[in-house]
Amino acid sequence: MTDLVIETSGLRKEFRNRKGRRVAVQGLDLAVPAGGVHGFLGPNGSGKTTTIRMLLGLARATSGSMRLFGRPVPEALPEVIGRVGAVVESPKFSPNFTGRQNLLLLARSIGAPDGRVDAAVQTVGLTGRDGDRYKSYSLGMKQRLAIAATLLKDPRLLILDEPTNGLDPAGIREIRETIRTLGESGVTVLLSSHILAEVQQVCTSATIIGNGRLLASGTVDDLLGSSTAYRVAVPDPVAGSAALVAAGLTPVPDPAGGLRVETEDPAAVTRALAGAGIWLTELTPLRPDLETFFLQLTAADNLATSADATIGAGR
Amino acid sequence: MIPLLRVELTRLRWRRAVWLLLAVAVVVPTIIVISAILTSRPPSAEELTRIEQMVAEEREQPHVQQELESCVDDPDMYGVSPGVTDLEAECASMVEPQVEWYSSYEPLSLRDQMDFGEGVAVVTVLTLLLMLAGTTFIGHDWNSGSMSNQLLFESRRGRIWAAKGLVVTLTAFVVAAVVSSAYWLLLWAVARSRDLPSGTGLLVDSLQFGLRGALFAAGAALAGFALTMLFRSTVATIGVLFALSVGAGVLIAVIGLSGSWQPGPNLEAIAKNGTTYWVEIPEHCYRQMESGNEEVPPNSECDDSRDLSLTQGATYYGVLLLGSSVLSAVSFRRRDVP
Repeated sequence: MTDLVIETSGLRKEFRNRKGRRVAVQGLDLAVPAGGVHGFLGPNGSGKTTTIRMLLGLARATSGSMRLFGRPVPEALPEVIGRVGAVVESPKFSPNFTGRQNLLLLARSIGAPDGRVDAAVQTVGLTGRDGDRYKSYSLGMKQRLAIAATLLKDPRLLILDEPTNGLDPAGIREIRETIRTLGESGVTVLLSSHILAEVQQVCTSATIIGNGRLLASGTVDDLLGSSTAYRVAVPDPVAGSAALVAAGLTPVPDPAGGLRVETEDPAAVTRALAGAGIWLTELTPLRPDLETFFLQLTAADNLATSADATIGAGR
Repeated sequence: MIPLLRVELTRLRWRRAVWLLLAVAVVVPTIIVISAILTSRPPSAEELTRIEQMVAEEREQPHVQQELESCVDDPDMYGVSPGVTDLEAECASMVEPQVEWYSSYEPLSLRDQMDFGEGVAVVTVLTLLLMLAGTTFIGHDWNSGSMSNQLLFESRRGRIWAAKGLVVTLTAFVVAAVVSSAYWLLLWAVARSRDLPSGTGLLVDSLQFGLRGALFAAGAALAGFALTMLFRSTVATIGVLFALSVGAGVLIAVIGLSGSWQPGPNLEAIAKNGTTYWVEIPEHCYRQMESGNEEVPPNSECDDSRDLSLTQGATYYGVLLLGSSVLSAVSFRRRDVP
């Protein structure tokens, strides 16, 4: 059995205001295995940040249970919070203190040596600017400082909510590499991001939620499914098509150029073409990317939710 | 808990707004004490000579002489009895400028300072400024949103509340105690140098006055902190406190509660180790007093003054402080943090 670093069961959060009740998270079952980078995806307002805030003890769950490292939270949060580094939404520090002062206060509150601040500042590339006031930082620098704060604890679980927000391309690449390295080193990273290409590049597994509910969860490969479609490029598409038809396959023109073939056995394509003396120049598995999968899934969920609401209103 | 206390102390030390308020808490009492020392100073020989010269010149003025003659002619008009033996001297004392008119002063008295003077004013100033310091210190954590970041490192909210509250209270007490003690020691030293009453008992009384005031100011700082933790905004806290300071007295008067419910007398009761406040007495008491010279028993229905003890004052403010602190701590433990 895989150890779960994060586990929620029937997690629910309601907000009450003058207009009534709003359900942000409804019965969410989340399971994040130890190690690797786990994507946490969902449209705006789907309940990602609320879930993270409940896990970290910043918000109280209305019902349901949560576990971090197998310990129930928020009850046992003080036991495990030392192993959890987190950036929730935008970075929040004292604007009149320098970046270094902000980090020193956090490090000292957990008894970490001041030297760890230097190491964290160096890791995120803020050396030389750590003596400046936080309010003078750009959004990217604020984001780096927030990531530096998570490193003060030497965490076993990193929860990052849009960590590359505001970073320049080089910064995004650096952070992506840091996340990947951390994931490979045994640290579990829960990465909440809107940049789905980034998630697909970095994450080994992912959970997708919509309207506070779980829509899909698993390894990225499992979510996207194995590919059965291939794009085939040959010098003479007409001859190639005829060879494939002769082998019992059904090629169709691919909008991106060349031919598109559905088959469980891609070797059948190369055999058929080689048998006809045609040498292919490209054989590419066509798999839906995470963005397409995500958009299809959340669109379907929105449709279902709208239908539910319409039926509910009609009653 | 010790690392947390150190962290909060450092955070307080790095807050410029807090430093500014603490500086004002030193400067204002300093101005008050300097003013008290200067206004209670006897005139120097030089000043006396100047006053005597000025008075002599003034007496020679024609209008003064005319007044003098007028008084001698019609003493009744000047309130002088015509039957006095030396009418001219009596009129001169009434009409001519006197040296005492320009050289009189209230000698410095530590007892008067405690009972009627600036002692309570200093306590009030310290209370307001330190309460504001407690408010602004924690209000910054809420305004910047850094409270949530702090909770990601120390999730035990009770500890966070206690560490911040303790640091605010202790800092406020130390500042108030140092300022108050310096205030009274300086006045005592000046009184001693002027050969005015300055016994050890008086010094101890005044230092105790200062310490009680410092404790009160520290409690106010804790209350400011607790209310800001509750309202999560410096502006909201100041608004509520302002509304209370304006409305509470009026409300108490409208409801018809006695003066013992008013904030002012209770503050004085704490600082002065007991005080007296005044009450309306029934109509029949006036008739009773007019009809004879009957002595009014203390604290009776017809006595228009009432005693308010230190214990009563401390209970009044203690209940308010405890109530706001408990409400604040419970709210902080239970509510979501943005």
